[in-house]
Amino acid sequence: MSYIPGQPVTAVVQQIEIQKLRDGVNLILGFSIGGGIDQDSSQNPFSEDKSDKGIYVTRVSKGSPAEVAGLRMGDKIMQVNGWDMTMVTHDQARKRLTKKNEDVVRLLVTRKSLEEAVRQSTMQH
Amino acid sequence: MSNKNNQRDSDIQKKIDYEIRMREGACKLLAACSQRDQALEASKSLLTCNARIMAYMSELQRMKEAQVMQRVTRSSSDAGPMDDRSPCKGKVAISDLRIPLMWKDTEYFKNKGELHRCAVFCLLQLGGEIFDTDMVMVDRTLTDICFDNTIVFNEAGPGFELRVELYSCCSEEDYSAGSTPRKLASKLSSSLGRSAGKKMRATMEPGAYSPTSNGGGATILLPVPSVPGPKYHPLAHTTLNLSHVQDSFRTHDLTITGNEECSYWLPLYGSVCCRVAAQPHCMTQQMMSGCLRVKLGGEPQGWTNVYGVLKGTNLFCYHQKEDMEANVEPVLTIGINKETRIRAAEKDTHSKAQNICITNQYGGEEVTHTLTADSREDTQGWMEAFWQQFYDMSQWRQCCDDLMKIELPSPRKPAIVTPKQGSLYHEMVIDTSDDIGRVTDILTRRIEEFELRAQLSAQPHWMSSFEEQPPRTPINHQHHRIVHLPPHSPSPRLHSCQPRSPQCHRTPGILSSNASLTSESESPASASPYFRQAWSHDTSCSSSHIRPRTLSLDAKLSTLRGRGYGGFQCTCQPPSNGSLSPQPTQTALSCSSSTSSNSSSEGSNSQESELGFSRPSSSRRSLRILRAKLDPRNWLQNQV
Repeated sequence: MSYIPGQPVTAVVQQIEIQKLRDGVNLILGFSIGGGIDQDSSQNPFSEDKSDKGIYVTRVSKGSPAEVAGLRMGDKIMQVNGWDMTMVTHDQARKRLTKKNEDVVRLLVTRKSLEEAVRQSTMQH
Repeated sequence: MSNKNNQRDSDIQKKIDYEIRMREGACKLLAACSQRDQALEASKSLLTCNARIMAYMSELQRMKEAQVMQRVTRSSSDAGPMDDRSPCKGKVAISDLRIPLMWKDTEYFKNKGELHRCAVFCLLQLGGEIFDTDMVMVDRTLTDICFDNTIVFNEAGPGFELRVELYSCCSEEDYSAGSTPRKLASKLSSSLGRSAGKKMRATMEPGAYSPTSNGGGATILLPVPSVPGPKYHPLAHTTLNLSHVQDSFRTHDLTITGNEECSYWLPLYGSVCCRVAAQPHCMTQQMMSGCLRVKLGGEPQGWTNVYGVLKGTNLFCYHQKEDMEANVEPVLTIGINKETRIRAAEKDTHSKAQNICITNQYGGEEVTHTLTADSREDTQGWMEAFWQQFYDMSQWRQCCDDLMKIELPSPRKPAIVTPKQGSLYHEMVIDTSDDIGRVTDILTRRIEEFELRAQLSAQPHWMSSFEEQPPRTPINHQHHRIVHLPPHSPSPRLHSCQPRSPQCHRTPGILSSNASLTSESESPASASPYFRQAWSHDTSCSSSHIRPRTLSLDAKLSTLRGRGYGGFQCTCQPPSNGSLSPQPTQTALSCSSSTSSNSSSEGSNSQESELGFSRPSSSRRSLRILRAKLDPRNWLQNQV
């Protein structure tokens, strides 16, 4: 999942649709994100390539809407509702996820296992 | 006699013609050139040519007068009694001219405003020879005007007068005839106030070349060609003579002409430092040589044939003439100096020649050498040479004690466009080839960047023990090497709290940066309650995990290298998969930073867990988030 500057990023993604849970006035999704272009990517425990400054899911709360929708810890979020998340700051990412007027977020996430699965299936042919 | 005079006349005439041609060339160049530097150089050559022409003219005049006088008085030019003896000529060299400037400190340190620049050069004259130094641009960033040239005058008598003149020309207004729009623009832009008006007037006046007085008045007035272009004005002058000659640098006073109102004014300190050395010919050339017989040893009858050479302060006696040419050591060296006594003694009647007795004092002893020449004429010649040598020495005084070194300017002078001469203040280059120095630089810089970013960073966990929150003071980060320690009252407490290895004191800059780092980090007011909570959450990373600092600078450097220069990386190891709490750092850059990084990561951990289901007040949260976000050592995690 390393990125070559100037080249389009390609990845095998899974769409995950999360319905936000209303908790009083707050809308929560139930997971934590880490990463961003303003962050120190070498501390990312989930990324394969330590220079990857993308947004990663660092924790998924049990029983949360995120878990229900299929989000797993270690996923890299590529898009949120069509907005790119591969080149955003941490705060931008958080904002995109926590828009008050949106009840649902559709994420495109990628993970290693997806890549593996696709490779496996292509190899079989 | 008249032949010699005629010869000299024609020589001078040739020189005058040559200089006139040079002058014409310089005028043409001046009219044609458009670049400021070229114009200045051409103007300088013009001035030099003019000065030379004046000098030659006046010399011609003097010669003519002398001829007239000679014809009238018919004085003999042969060397008769010692009063008519003329001393030998010599070489005089002046080098390493340095003229200190005395800027007002307001002038010197101001950064804005146009740089008032002047082009300066020195005109040096001795006898009939005139030389100019290279041109130097002077502005308020220079502390001294330095001329690197060595000027050598070849035929100087001991009574020489070396006149040094400093010319300067203001280098601001545009002088080229063809650029009217620019001239207009500059005229319009500079307010036509008193100073500008004076400047205009100063440039309008015809160029005043210093009439080079050479003893005899220059009664011939040359038509000074008025050319457009920059004009140099004399700024200061001084005259040096034999008493100023020394083998080392000396400071001499300058007489300053001109005042502050002139456009070409420079604040001169009033002195000039230079080295004036002289090499009289009697020291460098063989004054006399010939065959002699010297009594060596104690034998009264033993005469040894030698070839004697009188040079400098010694009479060298070689076995043969060829030895001298071959640079073989002389058989005998007799010192001839001011203390030597030479006497011609009458020998016994059956020998023709006289004896020459040379007596010297070596230590407390008197040593006498006896020499004799082959014939009476030879003896006479030798005696004459000795007397001349003594006379020269008395005339050249201190120059004859030892041979002064004169470095001849190398003939192949590369045309160096001297870069802006740095002043003492601007050229304090610290040698960066020193590794430790570079490391310290890097460390200091990094620490300062640290500070800047960590202004709102998390408090180290032990700060929770401090109740009071001192007011925050901003750190001034303008200067690289100056680290301001904000006046915090808890800072002494800070120091006592942290274990300090003696390593700290080697790099005081870093030490203070550390201190200010931590004292800064303690300032945010609302942080403490949160961090107390944070601390209570996490028991694994307690203060006992502060690793003792055993670091050498190398370790620090490797820490830095590991961290990389691009961004900031926390020195925490990447946590193992699944575990998010970072381990205590292996290589602690500094006590404070490790602890604060620990705590801030914990902070974000606990932040995340806290925020999971019970949100604290939004103000505290936003502050926390802000702080956590701005700390680049973290890899932030946010609950959404």
